[in-house]
Order: sequence, then structure tokens, then C-alpha cells
Amino acid sequence: MSFSVNRQRSLWWGLSLVVILSGLVAMAISWVSLGSPLRLGLDFIGGTRLQFELACSATHNCSQPIDIDVVRQVLNQQGLGNSSLQIVGEYGVSIRTVPLSVDQRTRLSDALRQKIGDFDPQKTQIETVGPTLGKEILRSGLLALLVSFIGITIYLTLRFQFDYACFALVALVHDVLVTTGIFAILALVAGVEIDSLFIVALLTIIGFSVNDTVVIYDRVRETLKLNPELGIQEVVDQAVVQTLGRSINTTLTTLLPLITILLFGGDTLRYFALALLIGFTTGAYSSIFIASTLLAWWRDRPPPRPATNTLETTSTP
Amino acid sequence: MGKYRGWLIAILVLLMAATWVIVRTPARLGLDLRGGAQLTLQVQTTDKVPQITPQVLAAVQGVVQRRIDGLGVAEAVVQTAGDDKLLVQLPGVTDPQQAERILKGTAQLLFAVQKPGTETQLQIERQLQSQLLLEQAQLLAEQAQKANDPEALKEIEAKLEKNRESLEKSQKAIASLFTPSDLTGAMLTEAFASPVAPASPNWSVIVRFDSQGAELFAQLTKEIAGTGRSLGIFLDDRLISAPTVAVEYAETGIVGGSAEISGGFTAQTANDLAIQLQGGALPVPLEVVENRTVGASLGQDSIRDSLYAGLAGLVLVLVFMVAYYRLPGLIADIALLLYAIFTYAAFLLFGVTLTLPGIAGFILSIGMAVDANVLIFERTREELRAGKTLYRSVEAGFDRAFASILDSNVTTLIACAALFALGTGFVRGFAVTLAIGIGISMFTALTCSRTFLFYAISIPSLRRPHWFCPKLESVR
Repeated sequence: MSFSVNRQRSLWWGLSLVVILSGLVAMAISWVSLGSPLRLGLDFIGGTRLQFELACSATHNCSQPIDIDVVRQVLNQQGLGNSSLQIVGEYGVSIRTVPLSVDQRTRLSDALRQKIGDFDPQKTQIETVGPTLGKEILRSGLLALLVSFIGITIYLTLRFQFDYACFALVALVHDVLVTTGIFAILALVAGVEIDSLFIVALLTIIGFSVNDTVVIYDRVRETLKLNPELGIQEVVDQAVVQTLGRSINTTLTTLLPLITILLFGGDTLRYFALALLIGFTTGAYSSIFIASTLLAWWRDRPPPRPATNTLETTSTP
Repeated sequence: MGKYRGWLIAILVLLMAATWVIVRTPARLGLDLRGGAQLTLQVQTTDKVPQITPQVLAAVQGVVQRRIDGLGVAEAVVQTAGDDKLLVQLPGVTDPQQAERILKGTAQLLFAVQKPGTETQLQIERQLQSQLLLEQAQLLAEQAQKANDPEALKEIEAKLEKNRESLEKSQKAIASLFTPSDLTGAMLTEAFASPVAPASPNWSVIVRFDSQGAELFAQLTKEIAGTGRSLGIFLDDRLISAPTVAVEYAETGIVGGSAEISGGFTAQTANDLAIQLQGGALPVPLEVVENRTVGASLGQDSIRDSLYAGLAGLVLVLVFMVAYYRLPGLIADIALLLYAIFTYAAFLLFGVTLTLPGIAGFILSIGMAVDANVLIFERTREELRAGKTLYRSVEAGFDRAFASILDSNVTTLIACAALFALGTGFVRGFAVTLAIGIGISMFTALTCSRTFLFYAISIPSLRRPHWFCPKLESVR
């Protein structure tokens, strides 16, 4: 047995701690500067996003690319100066504002049409989410996260034992923290926002990560049964090595489609794929290096003095 | 060997059934893919309606459905969402402004008295209107059918527009035959369908008014009793019913604040009218809390990109499996293709609406479906290395891997259940597609892979251990 996860467990734990801590620091910074640990998208805080593209089939409509200053001017006139603006391609513009009513929106698009030219309705995208609805989505998403934590813990306690379930949960929380931490960093560095797909991604990550942990646990249980004389450290080491091929191959086959979506898929799914990519990689890591090493460490503690002994000595004077 | 032949035939039958489903059933694309508007309307509480009960929501849904029918959008969907919301999908509508305005208002129920001497005119106008409505329904059906033919679609849309104009004109003509009264929906306390006699196939609609409404209603009915003129009931300016009042009420009108509208209703039509009346009686305003509109060609771009990406990912996975696992890898590939076909057929069968995240979930599930096979094959290799025979190794591979496969899938299903129970909209859709995928991937791994593998090793020329585990000799 050449490879032992347990031998260098302080290295693995330290590595995870560093990543998680830097994520937490990023969350703290954005908490101070943005008011929330992650940059929340339209889905959560509400607002209106309009995406227009010039109708280039009309004559002379696309003689020049959209001038962002003109758009900015129109927004200022409408009292929407603090909206964020982005040019998409050459002839498209994406505008994000506070939630707009139908009339406000119509006024804005009419004004833009006059200044810039006709837009192609086939390529128009309008999203308005009310602030209360956004809060609801966030709340129900977090609740779903919590409920699935509880459900998974109960199931694993039934199938294995409570301490197994606890460490699987630790690994899950680890994966969620790493993924959100990296997105907090991305929010600071590249202005990446999270939407409701991010919550979907987190839940999928949980499902996948616990898969990995369960496969290793299954092997630990089996090895313990077959070789009761082995120490827990050795059992865990063996279980990890025996399942390593499967872990690597499964992670690889799951990551392949994600990588292709990240590289070639549409814009909507790009950050969804990235979140899953980070989460799945972390999930495989945490199953091997965190959940199993924690289990070995916990079961290997020196046994506490039996409770009945102390009771006897105190009750017999 | 005979055992596996039976299974092979069963899988083949299933494959043919799935193919039949795929060929026959058109896919239901979400609005993010086909373009259109999706609105979420929230029912607001008022002093009069302090709580949104399921009845209130159903009544409002009726009103909204009616307004959408008035818009003339093919395949529009109105669903309740949560306790106080309605989800409205309007495929093909790229300018949601009009829809938003029409949908969000408070329903107006109004009672009006027919003007003297307009009896025949009303009959003619109503006949015309029902003809126009029939025509509209036909056009909408045609529009849905010819969705792929832009030429024909344009023609139909032009006809629809004309039809809509005529309907509006006829509505105005009908309204001009009535004099509005002071009796409004706010004074209506109840409306429900009831059989005329116990177990009778004929139904009627019972309406009840509050005290002020009862007084006004008595006055109105007294005015028209026995004249042959009718009491017009308008919802959102459209005539929904025009009952006449029998001559015996000419003295006092219908008193007591309760009345029965009868006349050839079935249980269904009576219930429809009752819901419409209820909806109009509820002065609850609607608020648009979410609006997502996607232009049709934007959706097409992303579906194409994501499909290509998914296919590329899938091909890589298939190649990897053969390269790494050899013969079992090839068998797993066949099982994976079956998985993809079965799952897609299941989506169509369950009427799953394909959205962009849904497609991503599907692609992802293909990568994940490999897991069960990988678990089995890794186990098989171990047994081979331990010196067992090929048959025993394959058998042990399936047996030993089963617990892992079950546990890992159940935990994912738990996450799916949480997503489905607590999520909203497309989040739920994602949970459903993932759960279907997991169920089918277990089936294909445990049944298809198993059958094919055992069938393969029953053929002597395929029974070569190094096709299952390369470098086996050197390990020994």
C-alpha cells in the first residue's frame, strides 16, 4: 500500500482551510462593499434587464455600432443614471435597472429607438423580477439546501452510522463553501453574479459529492467486515485506493460535458457549468481527502474512559 | 443464455416503444428556447379579501384565462404557482406590454339592462360573436399546427388579427344594446353551480347578493320581467350571460338577494359561468412580479450551442469508455445511448417542458449515468485480478456494486426531492429531469448493461479476459 490519504491528512485539511478561508474573506469584503456575501443577480434582488439588438436587415440601421454614451444619456434623461450598461456584440446592448413598470419600460425603449434605431424583436430579451419574488426564490433555495442536508444525513445514518453521516455532511458543507467562496472571489475580481441556477448548481453538487463519499464509505464498511483485525486508518486507506480508479473516471466523464458546455454552450449556462465544474472537482476531493480522513481520525481517537467506571467510583464511598 | 435472450427482446421492445414516442410526440420547448413571454402575477390582498384562499386563486385564474383567450395567443398556459401567484406563459409573444396591461387589472363584473326593442339585434349580434369565437379557436389550432411554416403562419396571423378586430367590434355593438346599472361584482357575495333537481343533468347557477345588491337586483329584474329583454352580465366589458326574467316577477322583481340562472347548462358550463362570476366578484388587483421575455431567435441560438456542446461532451465520454474499459466500455456505450433515448422519451411522455437548464441537466445526467457502469466494471476488474473466472467476476461486479449504486442514487434523489418541493418554476423542472435521469440510469446500468455483458460472455469468441481488463497477466 503505497498511497495513504491519512498520512498527510493535515496537508489536505490545511489546503481546504486555506481555500475556504480565502473564500470567506472574499465574502466578508463583498459583504462590506456590496451588502451581501455574493454578488446577487436579478433573480434575487429584483430589477429589470433589457437586451436589445439593432435590426440590421432594415436599411442604414446598422451603419455604426451602438454608442454607449448615447445609451447612457437616454438613461440619465429618464432618471435611471445608476443603471449598469453593457454592449453585447457590436449592435446589441444590455441594460440593468431597478424594477420598471410597463409604462416606464415603454418610455425607455421608445427613447432608445429614437436615438439609436429600430430593434429586432426576435432578439429582444426583457426580464423583470419584483424584489419580493427575488427574496422568495433565495429563501426557498436556501431552504431546499437545508432540507436536503437533513434528508441526506438521516438516510446515511440509517444506511451507515451517525458519525459517517456527520462527516459526509462536513464534506458537503466543505463543497458548498469552496464553490460559493470561489464565486465570491469571482464577484470581486470579475463582477460575476449568481442567479437561481447557482442554487440549482449547489444542490446538484451536493448530490454528486455525497455519491462519491458513499462509494468510499461502502468500501470502508465492507473492508471492516472482511478484515476486522485491521486498524481504521488502514481500512480507510485501502478503501480510498480501491475506489480511486472509479472516482477519477466518474469525475472525468461528468466533467467532460461540463467543459464542453462551458466552452461552447450558450451564455446563459456558462456560469452554471463553471459552478458545477468547481463543485464536482471539490466534491471528489472532499470525499477522498476530507470525509474519509475525518472518519479515520474520529474512530482512531483514544477511547474515552468508560462512563460506567467513573459512576462506580463515585457511588461507592 | 435463454434468460438473456428474453431480456434482450424486452429491451428491444422498449427501445422500439421509446423510438415510437420520440417520433410521434413533439417536444415541449420552454419559452427560453422558443421565444415568448412568461409572466408571474401575484394576487394582491385587499380590505375585502384579506386572505388569498384556493377558491379566490381559482376564480382569478378563470379571469386571467379569459383575458388571455381574448388576446388570441396559441398554446397559452395559465398555472397557479404557490399560494398567491399565477404563472402565465405566452409563446410567441415578444411584446409583452399589451399582455401585461390586460392581465394585471382588476376584473370588472357589471350588470346591465337591455334597451327596449333590441331583442332581434342582440340575437343576431350574439350569433355573430359565437361564430367569430369559433373561427378564432380554429385559427389558433391551425396556428399551433403550422408552427414550422412561416408563410402559412403569416397568413393565419393576419386572419387572427382581423378576427380580433371583428370580435372587438361585435363586443362594442353588444355593449351598446345595454344600459349599465349600479349593480356591480362587488355586491355579489356568492356564485355557484347546482343541479336543477337532484341528479338532474340540467344545471343552473345560483347567485347571491349583499343587502344593497339585493335591492338593486330586485329593481332591475322588476324592470325587465316578462318583457323578453335580458339582464346583461358583463365581465371585463364582455357579455358572459344574458338571462331573461320570467313574467311572474313583474310585481316585485326577484327579492331576497338570491337568484337562479337556468337554461340548458351542463355541469361544466354552469361551473364555468359560476367561476367567471366569482372572479368578477372579487375586487382583487393583480401585480406583475416577474416578466421574462425572450426573442425567438435568441432561444434558437442557445439551443443550438448547447446541443452541440452536449453532443461533443457525449462523444468524448463514449470514446473514453471504450478506450479505458474495452469490451465492457463498448457495452456501457450502448447502454448509455439507450439511456439517452429512454430518458428523452420519458421527458416527452411526462410532458416535461424542455428549458435550457433542463437540457444542461440532461447532458449532465449522461455523464453521471456512466458512474454505475464504472462502479461495476472496476469491481469486475478487481475480481479478475484476484484470479476469479470471467463469469464469476462479472457476476460479483454487479452484486458488489449494487449497494453503492443504490445509496449514491438515493442521496441524489433526496436532493432532487428538496429542489422539487421547495423550488419554483424552472428549478422544479430541473429537479424532475434529474430525477427521471437517475431512475432510468439505474435501470439501464442494472438491466441493459447486465444483459448485454452476460450475453457477450456467453459467446465463446468474446470470452477473453484481457478484453475486460488489459494487462491482466502482468498483474497476476
